[in-house]
Amino acid sequence: MRRPYIVQILMTPAIVLHGITKTYGALTAVDDFSLEVERGAIFALLGPNGAGKTTLIRVLTTLLRPTAGDAMVEGRSVLTEGREVRRLIGVVPQENNLDRYLTARENLVLHARMHGMRPAEYNRVIDELLELTGLGGRQHDFPDTYSGGMQRRLVVARALVHHPRVLFLDEPTTGLDPQSRRAVWDYIQTLRARMTIFLTTHYMDEADTLCDRIVIMDHGRPLVDGSAAQLKEALAHSHLYEVEVRRDADRYETVLRGLPFVESAERSGNLFRLALTGEEALKPLMDAIGSADIRKICLREPSLEDVFIELTGKKVRE
Amino acid sequence: MFRGAFSIWGRDMRVLRRSLFSELLAVIAYPLTLYLAFGIGLKGYIADVEGVPYALFIAPGLISMTAVNAAFDESAWSMWFHRRVQHTIEEYRVNPITVYDIVIGKIFSGFCQGAIKGVAVAAVIFLMTPFRFPFPHLLAYLFFIILGSMIFSCLGTICGTTIDKPENIGRVQAVVIVPLIFMAGIFFPLSSYPAAILPAIRVLPTTAIFEGARQALLKGGIEGGYAAILIATAAVSFVLAVWIFNKKIEE
Repeated sequence: MRRPYIVQILMTPAIVLHGITKTYGALTAVDDFSLEVERGAIFALLGPNGAGKTTLIRVLTTLLRPTAGDAMVEGRSVLTEGREVRRLIGVVPQENNLDRYLTARENLVLHARMHGMRPAEYNRVIDELLELTGLGGRQHDFPDTYSGGMQRRLVVARALVHHPRVLFLDEPTTGLDPQSRRAVWDYIQTLRARMTIFLTTHYMDEADTLCDRIVIMDHGRPLVDGSAAQLKEALAHSHLYEVEVRRDADRYETVLRGLPFVESAERSGNLFRLALTGEEALKPLMDAIGSADIRKICLREPSLEDVFIELTGKKVRE
Repeated sequence: MFRGAFSIWGRDMRVLRRSLFSELLAVIAYPLTLYLAFGIGLKGYIADVEGVPYALFIAPGLISMTAVNAAFDESAWSMWFHRRVQHTIEEYRVNPITVYDIVIGKIFSGFCQGAIKGVAVAAVIFLMTPFRFPFPHLLAYLFFIILGSMIFSCLGTICGTTIDKPENIGRVQAVVIVPLIFMAGIFFPLSSYPAAILPAIRVLPTTAIFEGARQALLKGGIEGGYAAILIATAAVSFVLAVWIFNKKIEE
């Protein structure tokens, strides 16, 4: 039996990518990328600079046409139903692309008009959004007079004026101070129940705490896919330990780096982060360094950043 | 239909309204200075040009120049600024409007700025100088100004779309736009040109704008040849502006 359209829509994922490829001449920014994001999830796409995250968001928001493949947002193709896709999405780009010659309120009004909303409808929504984002008292000021955090909140508010079903956030908190980051994230969390959120970020703690699902990508391809807990669990076999010494850190560094069962050693003052070959290496480690100068030794749970570095390497990207 | 174009045009007019006085002051100063310098300063040396007093001869051209320059400036700089500095073109593009909405909105804004500033200069010249013309001729004159502003607005849009460095927009103005305007006989009659190059000068769209507008205002009527050149140029430049913007956006 054929299901009603609304049921079909509710059962389909919010975002589907089928073999998306995007090339710029000889450079392949995204390479045969397929993905499904379930409705109502907060989904994070992580990757080093140049991994292809922004290219993927630009394809999903219809700003770029893929070289091959197709993507569906709420069941609509970005290739053939771009205008309908844009009606359903909100976009917070990396840069605050606010109109500095319009006041904060006028920025939101222009956005509402381009979505065909009527004044009676958009004025109420804009009042609510300005209050929720804490900008109500400054709504008649120009964005240039705002702090970076306020501008960011205004960009988020603008993306929500037309009640999107999918919100795309491209590094929404980059460059913000901790208080502003927290304010943006607190606000985004309140949206969780109402829409699907697709974001990219360089802040692993944000992705770890707030996202239901994470994909780490590099060189245009997905590397791992799962919840933060699942990704960390996959790295749990790495036997990471922290050793802190009271004195002679230089001498201990030389000793540690010379041990065959120490895969890697990172030093930060008197603290060493060690990756051992296995649990059985713990005893020879203690034998080698003794206990006289040891202040602390403990097993370290891998963080999402450890997973990220493990998968994408330590080399700085251009 | 054209909801986006109308919204973008509305935004541009709102911004213009905020700074209307300073904008008009700046835009009036230049042609008025030229009028006073040439029209009054040279009055003693140049009595008539082809039977028309020199001050009267240059006035329609100065008004037209203000309109088309304003149309070009607004379209070129606005498009460049929204594309390269504010990145607001990207914000427009994630809304349910088409690229045609964006480019048509911007062209229409440029055209309106040209028309408003042209009218302002005309009013000032009319009030401050003895320049007079038969009012029934105004309709024919507006035909040339409207098409001229539309053409220069499209050219500005093309420059603002394709040129990334702001200094290059200034260079295009200095090397292409200003010579084209001055070659069209704002300050001298076309009959001053050697006969060999006159046919080439006559088919320039700027000649059609300035000479056509002058004849329309001073003598009345629309000359068919100039009108045909303007209509064809306006159509081609509009199609080109839309096509180039669309192409650039896809990159």
